[in-house]
Amino acid sequence: MADVLTRPAAAPSRDGFGHLVHAEWTKLRTVRGWMIGLLAAVFLTVGIGMLGPAGSQSRCDNVDGARGGAAHATGTCAASTPPKRADGREVVDEEAFVHRTLSGDGSITARLTAFTGRYDPTGGGPATGGGTTGLADGLQPWSKAGVLVKDGTAAGSTYAAVLATGDHGVRMQYDYTGDLAGRLGPVSAAAPRWLRLTRAGDTLTGYESADGTTWTRIGSATLRHLPHDVEVGVFATSPEFSVIRNSFGGSATNTGPTVATGAFDHIAVAGQSTAAGSGADGWTVPRTGTADSGPGGANGPLGQVGASATGADAFTVTGSGDIAPANPDEGAGKSLESALAGTFAGLIAVIVVAALTMTSEYRRGLIRTSLAASPRRGRLLAAKAVVLGSAAFVAGLVAAAAAIPVVTALEHSKGLYVFHASTEAVIRLVVGTAALMAVAAVLALAVGTILRRGAAAVAAVIVIIVLPYILAVASVLPGTAADWLTRLTPAAAFAVQQTITAWPQVKAVHTPASGYYPLSPWLGLAVLALYAAVAYALAHRLLARRDA
Amino acid sequence: MTAPPPPTAIAVQGLRKRYGATAALDGMTFDVAAGTVTGFVGPNGAGKSTTMRVILGLDTPDEGRALIGGVPYARLRRPLGHVGALLDAAALQPGRSARNHLLWLAHSQGLGAKRVDEVVEQSGLGAVIGRKAGGYSLGMRQRLGIAAAMLGDPPALLLDEPFNGLDPEGIVWIRGYLRTLAAEGRAVLVSSHLMGELEGCADHLVVVGRGTVIADTPVAELIARSSGGRVVLRTTARAEAATALAGLGGTVGVTGPDTLTVDGLGTEEVVRALNTGGVPFSEISAHRASLEEAYMDLTRDAVEFRAAPAPEAV
Amino acid sequence: MTAFRDALHAEWTKLRTVAGTAWLLLAAVVLTAGLSAVSAAAVSCDGPQCGEDPAKVGLLGVTVGQALVAVLAVLAVGEEYGTGMIRVTFAAMPRRELVLGAKAVVVAGLTAAAGVLAVLGSVVCALVLLPGNGFTAANGYGPHLITAATARAAFGSVLYLVLVALLAMGVTALVRDSAIAVGAVLGLLYLFPIVAAVISDPDWHRHAQQMSPMQAGLTVQATVDVAGQPLSPWQGVGVLALWAFGALGVGGVVMRLRDV
Repeated sequence: MADVLTRPAAAPSRDGFGHLVHAEWTKLRTVRGWMIGLLAAVFLTVGIGMLGPAGSQSRCDNVDGARGGAAHATGTCAASTPPKRADGREVVDEEAFVHRTLSGDGSITARLTAFTGRYDPTGGGPATGGGTTGLADGLQPWSKAGVLVKDGTAAGSTYAAVLATGDHGVRMQYDYTGDLAGRLGPVSAAAPRWLRLTRAGDTLTGYESADGTTWTRIGSATLRHLPHDVEVGVFATSPEFSVIRNSFGGSATNTGPTVATGAFDHIAVAGQSTAAGSGADGWTVPRTGTADSGPGGANGPLGQVGASATGADAFTVTGSGDIAPANPDEGAGKSLESALAGTFAGLIAVIVVAALTMTSEYRRGLIRTSLAASPRRGRLLAAKAVVLGSAAFVAGLVAAAAAIPVVTALEHSKGLYVFHASTEAVIRLVVGTAALMAVAAVLALAVGTILRRGAAAVAAVIVIIVLPYILAVASVLPGTAADWLTRLTPAAAFAVQQTITAWPQVKAVHTPASGYYPLSPWLGLAVLALYAAVAYALAHRLLARRDA
Repeated sequence: MTAPPPPTAIAVQGLRKRYGATAALDGMTFDVAAGTVTGFVGPNGAGKSTTMRVILGLDTPDEGRALIGGVPYARLRRPLGHVGALLDAAALQPGRSARNHLLWLAHSQGLGAKRVDEVVEQSGLGAVIGRKAGGYSLGMRQRLGIAAAMLGDPPALLLDEPFNGLDPEGIVWIRGYLRTLAAEGRAVLVSSHLMGELEGCADHLVVVGRGTVIADTPVAELIARSSGGRVVLRTTARAEAATALAGLGGTVGVTGPDTLTVDGLGTEEVVRALNTGGVPFSEISAHRASLEEAYMDLTRDAVEFRAAPAPEAV
Repeated sequence: MTAFRDALHAEWTKLRTVAGTAWLLLAAVVLTAGLSAVSAAAVSCDGPQCGEDPAKVGLLGVTVGQALVAVLAVLAVGEEYGTGMIRVTFAAMPRRELVLGAKAVVVAGLTAAAGVLAVLGSVVCALVLLPGNGFTAANGYGPHLITAATARAAFGSVLYLVLVALLAMGVTALVRDSAIAVGAVLGLLYLFPIVAAVISDPDWHRHAQQMSPMQAGLTVQATVDVAGQPLSPWQGVGVLALWAFGALGVGGVVMRLRDV
């Protein structure tokens, strides 16, 4: 009876494969150097990751002296903390907004008759911000002017807007990340845009029209928890202008503020509207020359920011900034994946261990013992791959799960702002890093089987994974070449560590050097997996054919 | 002989393998029977290790095949339960302890730590089994290798040069151990390039040279043939003895100041002839060739045979 | 002195008679010139202010060539430990520092020879391809690309490869295992730039670049905005030389003190 009961457990369905895996695990765990290597992968990942924040410091006092001083007193750095929307995502929320309060359902309508902008063509930053001389006329691609419904004027509050842009036509945007396309084409007195937003409960619907009589619906959005009283009005804003230059060490961006001016008339609010401000007809109007933030100040382009009434129900609004999702830029906080910069060091340790588990068997002649114990050679390789892949996965999991809180805590203690990432993104970061280590281990095992020499295998795997990454992020190669490197080589796998999003409605440098990979996270990892699969197939074939 | 021939445990059939211009195996064919210790002897480079690797499915022959109990090695499930092998005692991960070496090998066959402890006890390594294999002497490695070969309690064993590096005590131990294994009914194939090592241990010999079998014979038969009925005679009257024996048709050779060898006459006849002639003698014995001598005779013949032009090709 | 000459002769015979040496050197030349050619073909200068450095572009292959050179150097030391031949070597030549010195000279010589070929190949590719990609007099690159600065960059790249080889030998003498040594050397070379990239404090960022054997060493390739580099070209070579001879020295001392 006992026999009948125990037999199925003793003879697994894969006919002894479980035993091989057990044997390979015993092999791996009984060589102290290899276990130390895997442990080293964890410590290197965390330790090297800590070097980044250890060599960094908050630079908020350089951005804004007054606030920086206050921040030093309290131990936090308010200037480097961007506004957030309700779910914690960092946003940019700077605009010139002429507004009044709307209670309950209703709508705002306005006609945009002119939309112009100014910028510094050299991208001159704060140092060159001397007055408006030297500025050129022109809009930025994502300069915005239009009608806005917003949950108050606090930065980061939810909103919906129907707006004209510099290059991308009329859009309906909402809650920072939502973006719906309307009609294309520039705005002028001859070709004005009528813009309208209606509110019904939590639902906001955007319309546009060329003549104010025939309206086209752009789309609608649901803004959850929108209060009964909202601010409605017209706004203008214009994101920073950037000159991108390629030079050694990657591409350098030179940025400077810009302004956009929208001329509105026929502004009409339907519904129960309250005069909130002291301006003309109860509108709250941002006064020109009171811009209080950002470089340039009153003497720079920002000195023009503000709004003025140009008649009954008509305003000219000049704004600078953006209403958009924010991403970490140079000096403006760290992305969460910066905590995982040590992955490369851990990866090298994993590669060495994985290659050695096979090449040391060849060196000692132990491969003959292994193959005599397991004549079906493919299974031996498979068992090794399972064991090493799992061990590397666990090492990667522990390393990433430890590095993220540890390095982030160090970043916080240094007064650095760490950008928010969703729970899914954090899980993907940890699991993806573990998977990256696992796949790299299998690749190293396969290359070790093919080459049978430890040094050659380790060098080959490090060169094909790490070198393309370095060439992509820190070399003379232009952005397109860097994109292709991170698309075609095993370095594509580092996309799995990307938490920042390349928003189409935000103009930015989307290169691997600035943290944007051309492939989606899992697709990037799949590229590495493909390399590993090809190497594994070749290793399998060679192992089966070669005399041991 | 009334007993049926012992079953074949390992069958090597017409193996050929070339490495570039050199033929490592050139029609290697022999069987290893259960319950015997078969010596696999030949000079270095005769193809012994290559044959063993082919038997274990490590090397692929260009032609021919090797079967374990009628099945190619690669088709065996839990192969160490069918054949145990010691190929290269130095094939160890130096950083891993000897016990852990046996442990992973046991796990690969679905065996547990209990079996490891059993073979460790048999091998006499108990006191040092926890040490790193890298620190093992050659003799300890040989014992560890034999322990590894015994893990699956296999009916057949392949041991490549197991005497290498063993001290005299170790050689005596391994001879006795191999006899015990054969007595348990196992087939044991032991390779060696020194015939003397197999003295008193092997009961069958497969002698190889240049990748092929030169002789495949029971040890008793080989020794008898090599001894060839020679009689050794110790006498102070050498001349008289020689005359008396030559008269009966014996061939007499002088091997020492008072020692003669006689070919062509039995012991009885020699005694009778000497007594008849009144020749004094102190000792008379039938000569028994050493395995070493028998081997030398055999390989000399083989070399001559190989060097001679084939007479059939007329 | 004769002892050193004999050691030199022995090490040269050893390295010459190992099959891998020729292949590694050939691969170093081909891959270096190949990556340099790809880079020269891919990078273009679109105007007078483009800021591209023709020497860095045309000699980019050194970043991959160094890996092969490192493997060659690691194997020259590590394989003897792996096979146990180091005991034979030390029995024949008991003055171990002479052995390491002789190995260093032989490997440095071979690396220099391969480095010259690799750099020449890269230079030829760059001279053919770069003028067609906007590296012209009109964009401020002079009548032709061969200047004192680019010649220094080319010569310095050969020197860079030699120093990487010496660094690799020193590390191997320390860790005594080829695979681990390759991992350590490539980690040392490749990790610094990655770590430097996440250090946002400009001073520390600069210090990381100054300490990095790869980034400091490769400043010898800078011909544009030399003043903006973290180190002057020869200072950079000096940093790498400190790494290389430091590793070699420590490796030699440890090799001498330790049981084989």
